[in-house]
Amino acid sequence: MSEFDLEFRGVSKHFGEVRAVDDVSFQVRRGEFLSLLGPSGCGKTTSLRMIAGFERPTAGEIFLGGRSVGDTPPYRRNVNTVFQHYALFPHKNVFDNVAFGLRMKRLAAAEIAGRVERMLALVELPGIARRFPNQLSGGQQQRVALARALINEPTVLLLDEPLGALDLKVRRRMQQELKRIHREVGVTFVYVTHDQEEALTMSDRIAVMNHGRVEQLDTSAAIYERPATRFVANFIGLTNLLPGVVERRDGSSVVVQLEGGMRVGAEAPSSAQAGAKVDVAVRPEKIRMTVDKPAPGAVSLEGTVAEVVYQGALTEYHVAPAAGPPVRVVAQNTGQTWEAERVPVGRRVYLSWPDGAALVLPADEAAGDDA
Amino acid sequence: MREEILTRLYRWPWLKIVLFVVPALALLLVYLVIPLCMLVVMSFYRSTLFGIVPDFSWNNYLHFARNPMFPNLLLRSIRMALTVTAISLLVSYPFAYFLARATRRYKTALLILVMVPFWTSYLIRTMSWLPILGIKGVVNYSLMSLQIVSSPIEAFLFNEFSVILTLTHIYLPYMVIPIYLSLDRLDGRLLEAAGDLGANPARAFWHVTLPLSLPGVVGGIVMVFIAGFGAYVTPKLLGGSSGIMFGNVLADQYSGTFNWPFGAVLALIMIAVVFVLLTVASRVTRLDAVFGGRA
Repeated sequence: MSEFDLEFRGVSKHFGEVRAVDDVSFQVRRGEFLSLLGPSGCGKTTSLRMIAGFERPTAGEIFLGGRSVGDTPPYRRNVNTVFQHYALFPHKNVFDNVAFGLRMKRLAAAEIAGRVERMLALVELPGIARRFPNQLSGGQQQRVALARALINEPTVLLLDEPLGALDLKVRRRMQQELKRIHREVGVTFVYVTHDQEEALTMSDRIAVMNHGRVEQLDTSAAIYERPATRFVANFIGLTNLLPGVVERRDGSSVVVQLEGGMRVGAEAPSSAQAGAKVDVAVRPEKIRMTVDKPAPGAVSLEGTVAEVVYQGALTEYHVAPAAGPPVRVVAQNTGQTWEAERVPVGRRVYLSWPDGAALVLPADEAAGDDA
Repeated sequence: MREEILTRLYRWPWLKIVLFVVPALALLLVYLVIPLCMLVVMSFYRSTLFGIVPDFSWNNYLHFARNPMFPNLLLRSIRMALTVTAISLLVSYPFAYFLARATRRYKTALLILVMVPFWTSYLIRTMSWLPILGIKGVVNYSLMSLQIVSSPIEAFLFNEFSVILTLTHIYLPYMVIPIYLSLDRLDGRLLEAAGDLGANPARAFWHVTLPLSLPGVVGGIVMVFIAGFGAYVTPKLLGGSSGIMFGNVLADQYSGTFNWPFGAVLALIMIAVVFVLLTVASRVTRLDAVFGGRA
């Protein structure tokens, strides 16, 4: 047996001229929680459907538990899917829905009854076995769909935006639930979502997809802290992209001269050489904004507060530097009152951030490939 | 004035129900309930040489029970209607299944092909079988040209066979359309879910497609059976003496022998048969689902 439950090797899927999935390769370890994250049309759902067997790859191979499944129809694959809109059988009650997979395996009635009961307990839905799907709330239907898939003890559990139809509060609770269930059963989860926050909080690793390709596959923290491309930096959370030119290289970091003449240090890939046009990416919450001029050397940017957006726990400031786009800064509202604490519009402020918080990204994708 | 009406409608929502439902109820009362009551009353009257005499007598019912010809004819008509229903079902289900999965262009074309004969006169569709099945008809001509038979076969026409064949042809759309509608409404993701859970295509059909198309199947069965059971023109034109049906005898009581009280008994018996069928059907599935109602 392979240590990987799931592997994509050069998998592509074309629908006519459209390359829904374009030469994708990755491996998923046993028991891992992998999210496929991206905007709609990025190929994440098509990838999932190829794992389930509903679509066949145009090129490449998919391995489940070390075995190529190119010619295996869905009903012979040991994977199960939690569908986006649950797809519960409307003419069967909860018990019969959950028991469906076991009945297909022709298990004994007594064993089925026991396992269904345990599964309904796992998803915390005891006592509703006789109800029909249309008598359940969205969250309950979601749990039934999960139980119906998990009861078959799949090698890989596929989840296709399972929480998309739920309201925010239920969704948050179900995220916790899913994590607990993932820990308890230890099955490999492949989770499709377009919600970056959901992916960040739940996944062991995230594959960020765009235009049918995997832009970056890494842990949640790495995806957020060290995005590999502009797309990833923009798609995951908020980020500031400050355009500039590399002035000189200094080990693993570079000094970039920003538009407007200020110089900042930033982490950079080896491809960024002196003279290259780049963007310096800084997360808004990493930036410290001060009204008094700090010690020389610490300042990265100088600007004027252009806008103040109150967000409850946080305040977002838009700071306009001498040149270039406004910089977003997020500050915690820790003071006694917001009115006393906030920095008003028009005030001159100084921005700084810790070493290593800024990251250099190629100014545009094509130029980055050439370098 | 207008404002006032709208205010009242808002204050008493049941007024809306009355406004919408009363016209239909009035029609039902005039054209169904009252005639039905008259039929029941009539069934106890007596038919004499000098006309129909009001009475309260069970004689008409006894006449039906004592003369084996009538119950036998009833059973045969039920059997023929069931045969028509069964053949229609076997032909229609695969066709409707294919139709529901066809691309939009084929779907429209095929649906039109199903519906066009339906808009043609009933009489023409019945009569059209004469030149096909007759002694000098298309079938016999072909068989003789191919030298499969040496003399024309007479057994094609004026018997049970020709009646069943023609009724099946005429009422096929009644079966195709409801089955098609229920299959067309079927959520394809449910079939994916069944496959995902280990059901091969045959078992997915048995456990998901078939039960979810049951309202359409039951609807088709009910409509084809009722139509076939009540057939009167087709057996009269194509049935000869052996293909005669209950509806013909019933009609004779009104237009032939002028025994309206006995005709009323026969009509009530037909209604009873249909009522039994509807009762059974409503046990199998919700009848409003047949016409697209949702749970």
